[in-house]
Amino acid sequence: MNIVSKAGGAFRLKRPAWNKRTRLNFWIGMLFIAPWTIGFLAFTVYPMGASLVYSFSEYHMRAPLQWIGLANYANLFQDKLFYTALVNTTYMVVVGVPLTLLLSFMCAIVLNIKVPGQSIYRVIYYLPSIVPTIASTMLWLWILNPNSGLMNMFLGAFGIEGPNWLKDPLWAKPSLILLSLWGMGGTIIIYLSGLQDVPVSLIEAAELDGANWWQRLLNITVPMVSPITLFNLITGVIGMFQYFAQAYVFGNSTAGAIGSPLNSTLFYSVYLYQTGFQFLKMGYASAMAWILFFVILGCTILLLKVSNRFTYYSG
Amino acid sequence: MEEIAISTPLSAEEIQRQHIRRRRLAAIRRGIGQLFSHLLILAMGMFFLIPFFWMVITSLKSDQDVFRTPPTWVPHDSVSVVIDGKEYPLYHVQIDGQTMELALVSVAEGRGDFIDPADPSKTYPQVRMKFATQILRVGLRWRNYIDAMSRATRPGLGVNFWTYFRNSLVIAFFTIAGTLLSNSPVAYAFARIRFPGREALFIFVLATMMLPYQVTMIPLYLFFNESLHWGDSFLPLIVPAFFANAYDVFLLRQFFRTIPEEMADAARVDGASEFDIFTRIVLPLSVPVLAAVTVFTFLWAWNDFQGPLLYLTSPQNFTMSLGLQDFKSQRAVAWNLLMAASVVFTIPIIIAFFFAQKTFIQGIKLTGLKE
Amino acid sequence: MQLKRVCSLLSLLLIVALLAACAPAGTPTPAAGDGAAAGGAKPEKLRVWIQWGDNPAQLQGLFDKYTAKSGIPVEVNAPVEPDKILAALSGSEPPDIIVLSGGENVKSLAKENVLLQLNDIINSSGINLDDFYPAPMISCRQGDKIWCLPWGTDVYALFWNKDLFEEAGLDPETPPKTMEELVQFADKLTKVDENGNLTQIGFIPDFSWSHTDLYAALFGGFWFNADGTQVTLDSQPMIDALKWQQQFYTKYGADEVLKFTSAMGDYMSPDQGFYAGKIAMMVDGEWQVGPNFISKFKPELSYGVAPFPPPASHPERANTGVVQGTVVVIPAGVKSKEESGKLLAWMQSADILAEEMVANSNLPTTKAAAADPRFKQIKGFDVFINLMASPNTTGMVTTPITNELGEALGQIEEQVLHAGAEPEPLLKEAQAKFQPMLEAALK
Repeated sequence: MNIVSKAGGAFRLKRPAWNKRTRLNFWIGMLFIAPWTIGFLAFTVYPMGASLVYSFSEYHMRAPLQWIGLANYANLFQDKLFYTALVNTTYMVVVGVPLTLLLSFMCAIVLNIKVPGQSIYRVIYYLPSIVPTIASTMLWLWILNPNSGLMNMFLGAFGIEGPNWLKDPLWAKPSLILLSLWGMGGTIIIYLSGLQDVPVSLIEAAELDGANWWQRLLNITVPMVSPITLFNLITGVIGMFQYFAQAYVFGNSTAGAIGSPLNSTLFYSVYLYQTGFQFLKMGYASAMAWILFFVILGCTILLLKVSNRFTYYSG
Repeated sequence: MEEIAISTPLSAEEIQRQHIRRRRLAAIRRGIGQLFSHLLILAMGMFFLIPFFWMVITSLKSDQDVFRTPPTWVPHDSVSVVIDGKEYPLYHVQIDGQTMELALVSVAEGRGDFIDPADPSKTYPQVRMKFATQILRVGLRWRNYIDAMSRATRPGLGVNFWTYFRNSLVIAFFTIAGTLLSNSPVAYAFARIRFPGREALFIFVLATMMLPYQVTMIPLYLFFNESLHWGDSFLPLIVPAFFANAYDVFLLRQFFRTIPEEMADAARVDGASEFDIFTRIVLPLSVPVLAAVTVFTFLWAWNDFQGPLLYLTSPQNFTMSLGLQDFKSQRAVAWNLLMAASVVFTIPIIIAFFFAQKTFIQGIKLTGLKE
Repeated sequence: MQLKRVCSLLSLLLIVALLAACAPAGTPTPAAGDGAAAGGAKPEKLRVWIQWGDNPAQLQGLFDKYTAKSGIPVEVNAPVEPDKILAALSGSEPPDIIVLSGGENVKSLAKENVLLQLNDIINSSGINLDDFYPAPMISCRQGDKIWCLPWGTDVYALFWNKDLFEEAGLDPETPPKTMEELVQFADKLTKVDENGNLTQIGFIPDFSWSHTDLYAALFGGFWFNADGTQVTLDSQPMIDALKWQQQFYTKYGADEVLKFTSAMGDYMSPDQGFYAGKIAMMVDGEWQVGPNFISKFKPELSYGVAPFPPPASHPERANTGVVQGTVVVIPAGVKSKEESGKLLAWMQSADILAEEMVANSNLPTTKAAAADPRFKQIKGFDVFINLMASPNTTGMVTTPITNELGEALGQIEEQVLHAGAEPEPLLKEAQAKFQPMLEAALK
């Protein structure tokens, strides 16, 4: 992306005078992007501003806002549940996201093998990802049911006594990760398209040099798809920090309360929702939202910085 | 010399034979390789496929069959007989060491009254229920689908699962309309109109994708509910779709840029306005990407949970995401009906997928392969 | 090709959407702001939301009687998720009456100004407060202010499986008389197979959910003081209640017990632990003796029911119960306070209250309703009616922080019972957190 003024070489202090054409284009452009501008002001700028104000206030319905300064933030940093939620979310980000990436990369490699009927296989791998979230969550709650569920019957066939997936705090998060793995079809497709873009000549050259399959994978394929890995990683991390629907349904359906068992599924967004909409502490929840914003921002910048060293761009 | 003389003619044959053998061997090896590949792909595919099947199988099971341990692969249904116009379930009952097939008439406090379906005058009163087991036979219970869809869970409101289905459709329809209408001009401007500050602004638009939903959630909720009084209506879910979003703008812009500029330039020379070029030239050429946006928006709106959870309060207005909870009473889940409803929930998406499979995959790649 | 497909897909969607929009589903379209009749005129309908509600058809039938009497249609929505109730209360068009499953949220909702204070309505609509049993009123009162009215209530007692008692060599007609005896009975009623796996268990204190309130009452306390101004989480009765419960887990290993309970079926199914004969004694409510539970799912079960026994050192605490249950509130934003008040008064009239309570086998909350002869016909119901009327029975004290404290207490219970933690430090820590919170909330 090159910015116009930079491309011109020297910076000018005075704004270049726009000719008639430029001025016209400007207004036409503004007109065309008006839907975005209005929406941005109404549904992003205003609420963000309001959210910032709320985060410094105590909010009560049908009553004026009370400014309480930094109290919400101060309380937050002493709130044990806040840390629980942060740790739970971090677990999902650190374990769930990389696992999804690794397994979808493996699936993509398998789906890239040249065999007849491959397109049908690709559909099979992809379809679960478009099952509505709530439906797939319910389905997995049923599969992981310790009593009449499929999973423990399957494990039982190998002589393994399956855990109590839904009610054991140790297994609740792995259950949710399993559920998200079932829906990783989108990531697989993105990886697959990346694999198809790896130049065949490169692989053939390596083959001639005597590199085996594993070496070719490690030294050619993995670096070639590294930009895709980065993309998937960033979107995965951002998405996981906002993980909500599955956890909400999971907690509500297994024990009738958000976050159960033993707060092991109390993720950040879930706790935020609970604080705002069940405990009616809108100000406190707004403060949580802002912290989330900065955490996501920080993580993204960090990932981009670190990835510079590991990502290969052919362009 | 002799050796050569003998071996030379043989050698030609041998070479050919070896050649054939080698080819056969290669073919076999390839065959084994392919077989192995198929097996590998299928084995891994089972993880994706079996839960699907399980959803369908469960949706066809009877209430008694659902909770059997270990679970069965083939749905079973209870068996009943009609005697004098009334339906009674059949049981295997052990009486005096003999097992008989009897119909259960009534049961209370641990004892049941049975009659012989072949001869209704033969009665077996007050049999202890621990000697009776209900008869289940293989049978698909399609009625679950009718029950799941039309059971009025809230009779006073006249609400059933069709209501939720309809609501989901209405919301999806208007969300798609809004998304198409609002995003394409914005994307066009970013792709084609050379206005100052375009690139910087575009990066800014992309950056807004990173904003977590939660930062705006609470004020928006209060704004829609308290200021506009839009609570419990579809408006908070639909109206924002009419004001472009970064994701779709990006998707459309990427495609608009691939349309040759010469056509637009020619039209410009002929005095066409930007609006004309946009509607008459660019849009008609962009059907594939508009289709992708349609499909993705449909998927998104159909799937949305948090929006309806926040804004829809009356069951008349629930979408399917919320309505699935109806199959769960306070402490029990009707898994067979829930799975039947889930299948109905999923089918429109599967249809949309097969209708526009290419578009789907293309769209994912387009968004995935950013810059 | 592509164009054609997309066009047909779009038109298909359009047609289906149009069809759906015109479908005669018989539901009113949800346009905001419709139907607000001008002040004074009869409302065109009243909306009643009931959080609890396993049988919506029966509830609608009951309220249809109000329509027959007054000519105003009543629309019943049941059951309702708690989140929705909150959203509706704060929304612009709240329902005219909301029936909550319990009173625990009432004070915090009142603090958010979304509830109508009921004192005026009670005075003007002729509801006789003296007729209400005192225990269920506790969660509705805040000083002189009344925020809700009970509409039926629950109380818990001990159920035992007579067959299992007989098998264990106990008298099937005699339940334990003290909490200590209950522990001994439970021991005799617990079976372990040769592999060390539990196959039957005598008693699980938090089955099917927590009953710490009842045990604390039997030990002489609760987690708030009587007027709801003090948190008493770290009081001796609370510690005793948790320790007493903990022993049932530590004896056989918490993991073993949890594994055993996790294999049991849903609450409303024949596989429920007590119904299935896997648990010999349970604490549960009066609805169990009604038509929708044991007699529906396990009619063959032979069981007895009695008040939960007191500790041996306090025989005077026999017949102790903690009443908790359904309460009615009116949202602050209702269109017509008068119409809501009329409906509330009708709901509290003796025959309507009795009919609703008989239908679901719940306890009537007014003396007039309790006199209804139909209650005598439910076998075992007298145990619960007597328990509610017992002088030892109390109600749940609620405060604006009941919700948060309840969450925290649930955590502590899990840690103590299921993870073997010591109750005292956890309760002390929570006490230190919630006492200032309560003081701040009451300011």
